[in-house]
Amino acid sequence: MAYLVTFHWGWLLASLLLGFAMGWIAVVQRGRGVSKPVSRWLSVLAAALVALALTCVIPGRPGYWLDLGLVMFASYLVGCALGSWLRDWALSRPAP
Amino acid sequence: MHGLFRWSSKWWPGTIPLVAFWAIAAWTNTAPVESDLAARSAAALKDTVLDKRRIAVEGRDVSFAADAFSEDGRRSAVAAVAAVPGVRLVNDETRLVPEARPFVWSAERDVVRVTLGGSSPLPASKNRLVEAARADLGGVEVVDQMSLARGAPPRFDDAALLVLDQIAKLKDGKIIISDATISLAGMARELGGREAIAAALKNLPEGFSVAANEIKAPPYVFQAYKDPVAVTLTLTGYVPDDRVHAALVGASVRKFFNEKVVDNLKASIGAPSGFAAAVGPALGALSRLSTGTLVVSDREVKLSGDAFYDAAAVAIRAGFGKDFPQGWQFKADISVRPAAAPVDDTVCQQLFSDLLAKGTIRFESGRAAIDPDSTGLLDRLIEIALRCPTANIEIAGHTDGDGEDGFNQALSEKRAQAVIDYLVKAGLPASRFTATGYGSTQPIATNDTDEGKAQNRRIEFMVR
Repeated sequence: MAYLVTFHWGWLLASLLLGFAMGWIAVVQRGRGVSKPVSRWLSVLAAALVALALTCVIPGRPGYWLDLGLVMFASYLVGCALGSWLRDWALSRPAP
Repeated sequence: MHGLFRWSSKWWPGTIPLVAFWAIAAWTNTAPVESDLAARSAAALKDTVLDKRRIAVEGRDVSFAADAFSEDGRRSAVAAVAAVPGVRLVNDETRLVPEARPFVWSAERDVVRVTLGGSSPLPASKNRLVEAARADLGGVEVVDQMSLARGAPPRFDDAALLVLDQIAKLKDGKIIISDATISLAGMARELGGREAIAAALKNLPEGFSVAANEIKAPPYVFQAYKDPVAVTLTLTGYVPDDRVHAALVGASVRKFFNEKVVDNLKASIGAPSGFAAAVGPALGALSRLSTGTLVVSDREVKLSGDAFYDAAAVAIRAGFGKDFPQGWQFKADISVRPAAAPVDDTVCQQLFSDLLAKGTIRFESGRAAIDPDSTGLLDRLIEIALRCPTANIEIAGHTDGDGEDGFNQALSEKRAQAVIDYLVKAGLPASRFTATGYGSTQPIATNDTDEGKAQNRRIEFMVR
């Protein structure tokens, strides 16, 4: 993991910023989000991919690509969470 | 926290560019990651002794193939690769180097190269052996056909290095180390080489032994060439020691009274037994030839050349090798040189006088038996006598002044008669010769010195 982060820090930073932007927007977006059942399925899919990555079942380059994808995705999610939380915190501040 | 769940349902649009990022990252980073991990893995194995090492990286998975020299070494090498940061999986394709039973190593030498073959325990010892061979055999090509194997006996390197030193002493041959036994075969480069190798092998490391030593010594060669044009006798080759050297040169000076003896002999061990006893008589036979070569190679003696006349050729052939020690082989290839033109009596006398001025017929001390060293001189005197077949010749014997007159008189007569007997035996008619003894009555030099006495003890040929 440390190696992946060190080697791909640029891409992870890009994912984080992308997530931050997405999170920042998501708070005020009016459109419909993903429905609960779908989000549940997506969570299961993400958990299954993480399980595949941890058990190293997928060999060679596809295995590496999966690891890279999951790390970038995790970074994206962190960015999203940070973005949404900050936007929410900014909006909820009493106007001066 | 509830808000985070709510907002997260609207995060999905960002995954579209994220997938694009991921695809680009995977496209651009796969090769750098693989080469980086390959370099790190190779660096991790830097101090590990392995053969046929091969590292292939796919993604973050390392396929690691190598031949290890011990189970511990193999395991630690795999663990070292697995511990490299970033490596996800190690496909362990390592194995142990095959074990050789028996553990055989060989060094073979021919004229232009040395071939190292068989098994070597470690790459380092393999390199050390090749380097040692190059150092020992400067200028000789060293061919490395060694493979690596386990199962070498303890102190193998020391034994192999000692053996390589011996290869330098061989002209051709092969030395094999099989487990802890050593077999040697071939031909030593120089006389004494065989003995030197045997002595060096006494210093083999503990546990090693010599199973078979079939190193042969090069032939022990002695050559003598009588050159009638340069009037030289050239001695080349080997003699066992300084004593035999001096004895052979001394005998040559006596037997070849007319020739200058060129001594190119070298002393060396390895002479066949009875060397001096065979070479002495063989030189005597050569002295009876007008031109000839004597070659002694180990226990084979070959004499070739031209005798002065037919009967001498027959006598040389018949007598050659009779007094050689047992086990010696000999071959005499004797021809007769063309007879010289007849001359008149005056010239004949001149030829006799000239020849006897150069050499003296020798006898055993105080006796009338002709010294074998004088047969060469006698053959030349006979050849002259054959050139003037009508001349009658008086053989005059003289002694020095030592001893009683009566004894000297009788001795001089007997010696003159002994010479006539020799001439008759060689085929000359007895009627042409008369023997006269003068005792010490006609000295040609003073009897006060040994040198003068030696000049006075003489046989003269007088054409009447």
